[in-house]
Formats: sequence, C-alpha cells, structure tokens
Amino acid sequence: MDSREEAIYNRSLTAMALVGFLSFLLLSAYRKPVTFLPFYGALAFLTVVFLGYFFTGWVLPNSDKFLFLLSSFLAQLGLIMLCRINPELFKRQVVFFALGVGFFILISFFTKYLLRLELAPFFYWAVTVVLLLLPLLFGVEKGGAKNWLVFDGFTFQPSELAKITFAFYLAGVLKNGRIDSFPRMATEILTVVGLLAISKDLGGAMLFYFTALIVIFVATSRPDIMAVGCFSAAILGVSGYYLFDHVRVRIEAWLNPWKDVPGRGYQIAQSLFAIAEGGYFGTGLGLGRPDFIPAVATDFIFSAFAEEFGFLGAAAVVLMYFLLVYRGIRIALRLQRNFEILLAVGHTVMFGMQIFTIIGGVIKLIPVTGVTLPFMSYGGSSMVMSFASLGILNGLWQSALEGEDDDED
Amino acid sequence: MTRIKRNVRFVFVLFCGLFLSLLGYLTYFQVYERQKLIESSYNRRLWEQEEAVTRGTIYDAKGRVLAKTVEENGAKKRIYPGGEAFGPLIGYSSKKLGRANLEQALNGELLGISQQDPMMVLRQKVLGVSRGNDVYLTVDSELQNRAYQLFSGRRGALVALDPKTGAVLALVSSPGYDSNSIEQRWELLSKDEKSPLLNRAIQGLYPPGSTFKIVTLAAAFESIPDIESRTYETPGQVVVNGRVIRDYEGFRPGKYDIKKAFSLSSNSVFVKVGLEVGKERLYAKAEDFGFNERISFELPVSTSRFPRFSLMGDDVELAEASIGQGKILATPLQMALVASAVANGGRIIKPYIVQKVVTPLGEVKNFSSPVFLKEPIDIMTANKISEYMVDVVEHGTGRAAGIKGIKVAGKTGSAENPHGKPHAWFVGFAPADDPKIAVAVVVENAGSGGTNAAPIARDVMWQYLKGLK
Repeated sequence: MDSREEAIYNRSLTAMALVGFLSFLLLSAYRKPVTFLPFYGALAFLTVVFLGYFFTGWVLPNSDKFLFLLSSFLAQLGLIMLCRINPELFKRQVVFFALGVGFFILISFFTKYLLRLELAPFFYWAVTVVLLLLPLLFGVEKGGAKNWLVFDGFTFQPSELAKITFAFYLAGVLKNGRIDSFPRMATEILTVVGLLAISKDLGGAMLFYFTALIVIFVATSRPDIMAVGCFSAAILGVSGYYLFDHVRVRIEAWLNPWKDVPGRGYQIAQSLFAIAEGGYFGTGLGLGRPDFIPAVATDFIFSAFAEEFGFLGAAAVVLMYFLLVYRGIRIALRLQRNFEILLAVGHTVMFGMQIFTIIGGVIKLIPVTGVTLPFMSYGGSSMVMSFASLGILNGLWQSALEGEDDDED
Repeated sequence: MTRIKRNVRFVFVLFCGLFLSLLGYLTYFQVYERQKLIESSYNRRLWEQEEAVTRGTIYDAKGRVLAKTVEENGAKKRIYPGGEAFGPLIGYSSKKLGRANLEQALNGELLGISQQDPMMVLRQKVLGVSRGNDVYLTVDSELQNRAYQLFSGRRGALVALDPKTGAVLALVSSPGYDSNSIEQRWELLSKDEKSPLLNRAIQGLYPPGSTFKIVTLAAAFESIPDIESRTYETPGQVVVNGRVIRDYEGFRPGKYDIKKAFSLSSNSVFVKVGLEVGKERLYAKAEDFGFNERISFELPVSTSRFPRFSLMGDDVELAEASIGQGKILATPLQMALVASAVANGGRIIKPYIVQKVVTPLGEVKNFSSPVFLKEPIDIMTANKISEYMVDVVEHGTGRAAGIKGIKVAGKTGSAENPHGKPHAWFVGFAPADDPKIAVAVVVENAGSGGTNAAPIARDVMWQYLKGLK
C-alpha cells in the first residue's frame, strides 16, 4: 500500500480517536456525580478499534481499510449517544462492537473459501426462509414486529442474518445475467417478503423487496422488471393501507402527524421536535432531551444525534454512510465474476436502502418503518450482522486485488 | 465496460439521488419547518422551558413595567401593573386559560426560545440562564391610560401611531379588563355583552363611514383632473337607482366645491364624485390603501374589507361605498394607516409595537427600523388631502379636534349600522405640517363623529405632543 494512502488512514484514525476522547471526557464530566464509566468504556472501545485496525492490516494487508474506519467511526458516534442516553446499553453495545469487529475479521478472512463452495442458490433461499420462519413460530414481539428469538435471556433477530443469506441467494440465482424461471424466482422472493410482512416487519419487507428489484436490474439490465416491480409495490402499499391497520397508522402518521400528536403521530412528532431543537449547530452533547423520543436507542437514534450535534453533525453522518455505500460500489466495480459483483451490489444495496429507510423515516421524508440504523442503533444482531456484511465486502475486495495480482504475474 | 458494471454505476447514481434527497430534506426542514416546531404547543421542550424559565418582562416605550413575573412563596406569579387599559393589548399568560394577545404573540421571545444565534443559546445553557427575554414596546403607557379613560366605559377603540416610523403609540380597546384578575373573572368577562376580551382596535370591523371619504377623495384627485374647479349643486340628498342617500341633518342645500363638500362631509356630493370615479378605480384605490389585505403586525389583525361589487345594483353599492357605507368594513388600525399615509406624504410604513428585545445576557435585538409598506398616493395628492383635512378641523365637522396653536388635520365619520345609533369616527394627525402622531378613534353607537370621537382624538394628540416638548 502506498504511504500517502497510509497517512490518510492514520489521520482518519487519529481524528476519530480525538473525537471519541473529547466526547467521552465531556460525558464523564457532565454526569453528576462524575463517573468514569464513559471514560473506561471509551478506552475499551478505542482499544478494540486500534487492535482491529492493526490486526486487519497485519493478517489481511489487502483490506479496504476505510470500510473498517468509517464503520467504527459511526459506531463510536452511536456509542457516544448511547452512553448519554443509557449507560447500561452503552456497556453492552461496546461488547457487541467488539464481537462485530471479530466477525468482520473472521468473515473478511473466510469469504474466499465461502465463495469457492459455490452453494446452490436454493440452499441460501431455504436458509433465509427458515431464519424468517423461526421467530414466527417461536419468537416474541418487540416494538410491534414479531421478529425476535430469545434463548436464555439472550435475544437474537434472525432477519439480520437473513439479509446476508438473501444477498447470497440473489447473487446465485442471477449470476448468469438472466432469469432462468421468472415464476419460480418471483415466488421465492415474494415468499421471503411475505414472511417479513406477516411478522409485521414492514421496513424489512420493503428492504428485501427493493434490494431484490435492484439486484435483478443490475444482473439482467431490464428496466421493465424494475418498473413493474415499483408499480406492484405501489399497489401493495395502497392495498396495505386499506387492508391493514398497522400500515394505515404509519402512513397517516407520515402524511399528517399533527392531526393526532398524542397518539399516532407521537413518535414522528417527538423525532421532529428533537431535530428542530438541534438547528444547524445542535444543542451540544448532553444538552438535548433524548428522553422525550420513543425508541431513541434503536430506531430513533439519528434524531437524538441530530438534536445534540445539529444539522451539521447529522449531515456528516449521512455523508459517512454515503461514503460506505460508495466503497461498496467501488468494490463491486473492481470485481470480475458476475456472482461476486452481484453479491457486493446486494450487500451494498441492502445496507444503503436500510440507511435511507430509517433516516428518511425519522425525518419524515418517507413513512417510518422500524429498521435499525446500522452501527449506530443499539442492538447486538444489527451490529454484528452489519460488520459481517462489511466483512463479506472486504473479503470480496481482497479476492479482487489478489485476482489482479495473479493476472500481473 | 460490461453491461453489468454499467448497471452498478446506475445503482450508484440512484444512491447519490437518495442520499441527496435526505440532505435536501434536512436542509428544507431546518429552513422552513424548524421555527414552527420549536414553538409548537405539542413540543414538550416548550412546557419544560415554561417551568424552568422565568418569563421575561414587558416594558412600555419609557421603561415602565406592563407585565412581569415575580416569585411569591416559591411560586411564580405574573403581575400586570398596567390595569384595565392594557388587558386587551397585553392579554394574559395563565396555566388555566392559556395565553392571549401579546403574551401569546411574544411567547417565544418572553421564554427565550425563538433565539436563533447558536452561540448565544450555548452561552445561556452553560451559564445556566433561566430567564426569558425582556420586550420593550413602542406604546406609551401614560398615553394609553389617558386614551382609555376618555372612553369612560363606552365601547370603542383607538389607535395612535407615529406616521413616519409606524411605531404604535397607543392601542386601546374599551371596555378593557385587568389581566391580574383574569382567572377569577373569566366567567364574567367571557360572557359580557360588551366583549371586553376582544381587541377592537385590531379585530373590530366597523363601517368606516365618512372617514372613508379620504380614499374617495384620493381616487377623485387622480381620476378627475379638473375636480378642484368644479362646483356641485345639491338639494341635500341624492337618488341612485331609487335609493335616497341624504346628507346629515343641518347640512344646508346649495353650491359646494369639493373642498367645502369634504369639510362639511356632504354625502350627496361624494356619492356623485364616487359615481364619476367609477367602481374599478375606487376599488383599486381602497386596495392601494390596504383594504382586502392582511396587515402584518405582531398581533393578528382582521382584514378590512372592500367587497367586489356584485353585478346587480352596483350603482347603489358604489354610491354607498363612496361614503364608507354598505359592505365596507375597516379596523381602527386600518383607518389609522389611511390617516398616516396622508400624514407621511403618501407612504404607509408598516405598523409595529415591539421596539426591541433584550436577552438576559444583554444582547439587544432591535426591531425599530421603519419598513416601507406601500404608497397608495403620491406626495402631491397627500399634501392636498392634508390641506383639506386641516380645513375639516378649522372650519368643518371636525372643529372639536382643534388644538390651539397646533395645526390639526382630520376627518369625522358617523357610520350607519344596524345596531342602533351611528358609530362615531375620527381619523387625523398633528401637527399637519410635520406630523408626529396619527390617530383613528371609533366609539360604538355614540352618534356623530364630530362631537363624540373628535374630542378623544384631540386629547390624545395634545397629550402626546405636549409630552414631546
């Protein structure tokens, strides 16, 4: 790697560490009585970041280091907010982060072996379906959606893992650049989307549906399928509005939250109040009122962040997510085999759509659907699976670079 | 490049669009939606602020307290030293009844939440400032009290403003109420037939009667070039499409030029003039003066109305409109602006009542620079009308407004209405050659403007001018 690039990475890392130290020191001092929990938490977090960064550089020298730096920076911003909202969640999230980094490194390393296996797409589809069926059969409901599994007080959201298997399925079934059997594929995809809809995970259903549409378009270059897909989505949305109460509630809260602020519009109204309070520069860390926002640690963490860090902070976060998407696209463009390109695109699209869905939702650009903000929202499944997803992108990147090296030899 | 990679690039463009729309919407939100949400009554931050913050003080132009919050046995209490004259203007802020009038309109400032400058917000948060901003009005409380007393309980309103700056010097609505006892007397006040809770000066809509002849005269000057050399022969009444419009009792039939007709407020002559001016031009002139348009002011102002004529019988409507009767309705503030346009060489300056806002850290936000609103007439016309209005006070119906040693300009009105005796009107300004104060007075169902409204205007103008010396 050339040293100029190396210098940029090191500078980014330093900037991130500085932001972290300042914020956590502020949080330590701000809480009365003064506690050092944020400070120790930050030390643990930064240790994991540095270890992860250098270890990746050492075992996987061809890594795309920006993937790791950007995601860690975002995780750090999420941790700062969590520490401020609820120190208990913060402690656990640091552990999830460490786990996520572990998965990132492992999966970065093993992706090439996984690719060599060339498992049939039907296998990935079956796994996806089983993952989505499990919570329906044995799961518990949280926040209106039945997509959680509980073992011994340890909860897991299988749909997060299903995102990865679904991307593999899509890449596999479309790797020849054409659709072998349209009815079969449509049935398979709609089964997955349908399962999510049944568990009332509307955000998830939307995410999987649009990811499938975009990957199909990339593989087949057929805008007609995309158009028909969008049209059907519109029809489904409208009929959902009339058929299902929980869909109607969300759409009405989006169209006019002010009609019923204490009821249906409550969540989105509180979110908008927070963002409004922040203004351009934010109230400052610790000076906002995240306690007014429901589900602030998970779905609405962006609103709390926007209140305390302002429009500028929020815009910076949006740009960082955008850079991650850009890195994903860049990786896809460097790859040679269709399957790998589609896999990279699938993960990137799933990731990008998720960010758009939740940020767009909490700022009332689109209706709110409960999905997490990757890396920032509280939650182990989301954190670990988001890192796993990046691990696959990183693994693909390495195989691309190694492939190029082979060509040169 | 392979097709698949071209498509990947297309996906990238799609995401550029999606993320740009996020940033775009966030920007739009900050620019257009933000302030509304901060001040929304659903916003819990606002309630917290209310609890934590000591509401700012409202002062008059000379620094006298009109509303302030004091601690009494650990509880916050809002007190209003101004008395009844200020009730309909200042309003109240009460947990039980909510807020009204200036207490409502200035809520954001008084709580210090309409702060824009982020450094100031941060400083206040860090320094733990728990006071809202203080607001200084342009109103002179002595003048306000004096004016209020002149109504002696009769229903009516008065607006006095500085025609050159738009500063409101007094905004009286009678009967008023004492904001201190609003909670105890709410039942009584809200059911009172004299509706003391209504601010008549800005929300009351009255037929303007002959004071509207100023507008008709302005239109006539502009559309009938030889009007000053004409004479009108009148028998003391005029018939339009079978409708008889009379001059007031005691008006002698005979030959009048336009100046004399204005001075003595002849309805028959002004109906003829109005018919000659025509409906389109009279309508346009009324709109030039601000009718049919919302006046932007710190408090909500009812829109004064000059209706489009209906197709049927429009000559009768036009005839009535020329003398300020029929379907025309005006607020006292609107008529004060008509007077101040004449006083200020034809230019209306936007009226305002908040002079400055002072934050607890001493920053001053000044609102007193004049904002030009509109120019309904040119300076030549304005000067001519001013001269005519001086004649009204010197020789005509407005003699009761005359002040010894000061040239006063004015116009009386006695507006017919379905509720009983005519509403007495007077609008005017003084001194005529260098106007410092413009007033509009209406006293409901009091009879003739010359005897009932002009003396109030006179006293208020005199009081104010005396204070300037």
